[in-house]
Amino acid sequence: MKRSTSALIHDVRNPLNTISINAELGKLTLMKNGDINKALQIFDVILAECRLCSKKITELKESLQDDSAKDVLKDVKP
Amino acid sequence: MANILLVDDDTKFLNATTELLRMLGHTVHGASSVGEAKSMAVASRYTHAILDLILPDGSGLHVLDALNAEHHNLQVALVTGHASIKSFVMNLYGPNIKYLIKPIDLEQLNAFLATSSDGSSSRESGIKKHFGHLVGESPVMQKLYEMIERVSQTQANVMLVGESGAGKEEVAASIHVASQVRGNFVPINCGAFSTELINSELFGHEKGAFTGAISRKPGVFELAQDGTLFLDEITEMPIDLQPNLLRVLESRKVIRLGGTAQLDVNCRVVSATNRPEHEIARDKKLREDLYFRLAVFPIHIPPLRTRRDDIPLLVEHFLTDLNLQYNAKIGIREEDLERLCQYDWPGNVRELRHCLHRAYIMADQATGKIRLPERIQSPFSRVETTQSNGIHFGKTVEDVERELIQTTLEHLDGDKKKAAEMLGISLKTLYNRLNSYTASNSYSE
Repeated sequence: MKRSTSALIHDVRNPLNTISINAELGKLTLMKNGDINKALQIFDVILAECRLCSKKITELKESLQDDSAKDVLKDVKP
Repeated sequence: MANILLVDDDTKFLNATTELLRMLGHTVHGASSVGEAKSMAVASRYTHAILDLILPDGSGLHVLDALNAEHHNLQVALVTGHASIKSFVMNLYGPNIKYLIKPIDLEQLNAFLATSSDGSSSRESGIKKHFGHLVGESPVMQKLYEMIERVSQTQANVMLVGESGAGKEEVAASIHVASQVRGNFVPINCGAFSTELINSELFGHEKGAFTGAISRKPGVFELAQDGTLFLDEITEMPIDLQPNLLRVLESRKVIRLGGTAQLDVNCRVVSATNRPEHEIARDKKLREDLYFRLAVFPIHIPPLRTRRDDIPLLVEHFLTDLNLQYNAKIGIREEDLERLCQYDWPGNVRELRHCLHRAYIMADQATGKIRLPERIQSPFSRVETTQSNGIHFGKTVEDVERELIQTTLEHLDGDKKKAAEMLGISLKTLYNRLNSYTASNSYSE
């Protein structure tokens, strides 16, 4: 079943949220104990979430294009 | 430190937030479902709960019910993707629930965790935040608080006039808080919109109203319904678009672009500008009729240099915030505080906060004190007051002239030609003066 636009927007916000919190965690890790290895792990999480976010935005875009195509078809009466 | 129950089914967010809060010294218990959270609610006493709304086996509101039965004075924040959920939950659970809007950052978390059971901000410094936003006890601020109180009892539109960095948005938010209205505080910057988009931002649009309008969008008047609309930098709005705003303010109705239905507008409009009123009129930055609609109740925000007594309070407030953010205990030396109090702060409170943040990063870890730069100076200003400069009783005309020449040269990075122009003397006179100073220095040595 096709997911609604609001559900897709919710899906985009989740990785953004994880990116934001991990960025804060990375900052604090470097400021408090300078643990580079831990910071590198955190950056990997951020990069993975960026890729996930991009995928979700593509899904959202496709869904919006589908909706707008349907609207056009609806307006064209036989 | 807080004892926190954190409930979210997004394990990546749950784990990172748990780790972050533990690094800040809090005790955190994480749960990823309603069932797990309910059993934790019985097993432990929490001061704060952070709850996701949508969970696999129910809602964060189910956890809230269980927590309310077991805990008194618990502070609760719901994690939500959109502020619009606020009014819905507020109707159900009252105004004491806080909200963390995704994407969540440390500032949001710290603001929530600094909240104590009486709903006020319980900062270690004990500094009072008037209306939850404003710091300062000086006479000019007391006058400002009185004006906020007065206008909050009315429906009047307010125009804030103040220098850049003086805290116009904080005052606007204070008016919103004092008004105790149901709707949201919606801030927008009129200088940030392109001419093509400003009408759509203000009034909203219907789907298909113009190329790129892929869905219906509410305007800021709709978003601020029953609340407060804050129009920052109102004087930067193009003059040819101002009649549209005037029409909404006069009719209290708005029509979305591409729409036909008239929507009722019910919100207080607080506008702000950093231009003095005489300049607004002289340079025709606002239409006269719009000015009188917006400035029913004008409020002048005092610049920081007129309330120097508040500088120690503000410094303590910002240092407390930074210490909370970085879980540290950095202080300030008496002589540094004295320097901060003597500076003119042309960039106002914003500049003070920026200066402190920089000094905090550069803090001397051995003494646990911030480290100020040798010269406190804003790149946007050439004004600085130092102990050595200025006119004091007992100084000779020669002393004052020498200080003026030296200060001018310092500000112009030693450019003698520009300095001579600025001082209104010939380059030859400037060289003569400088030579005489060098000679007198050699003599005195």
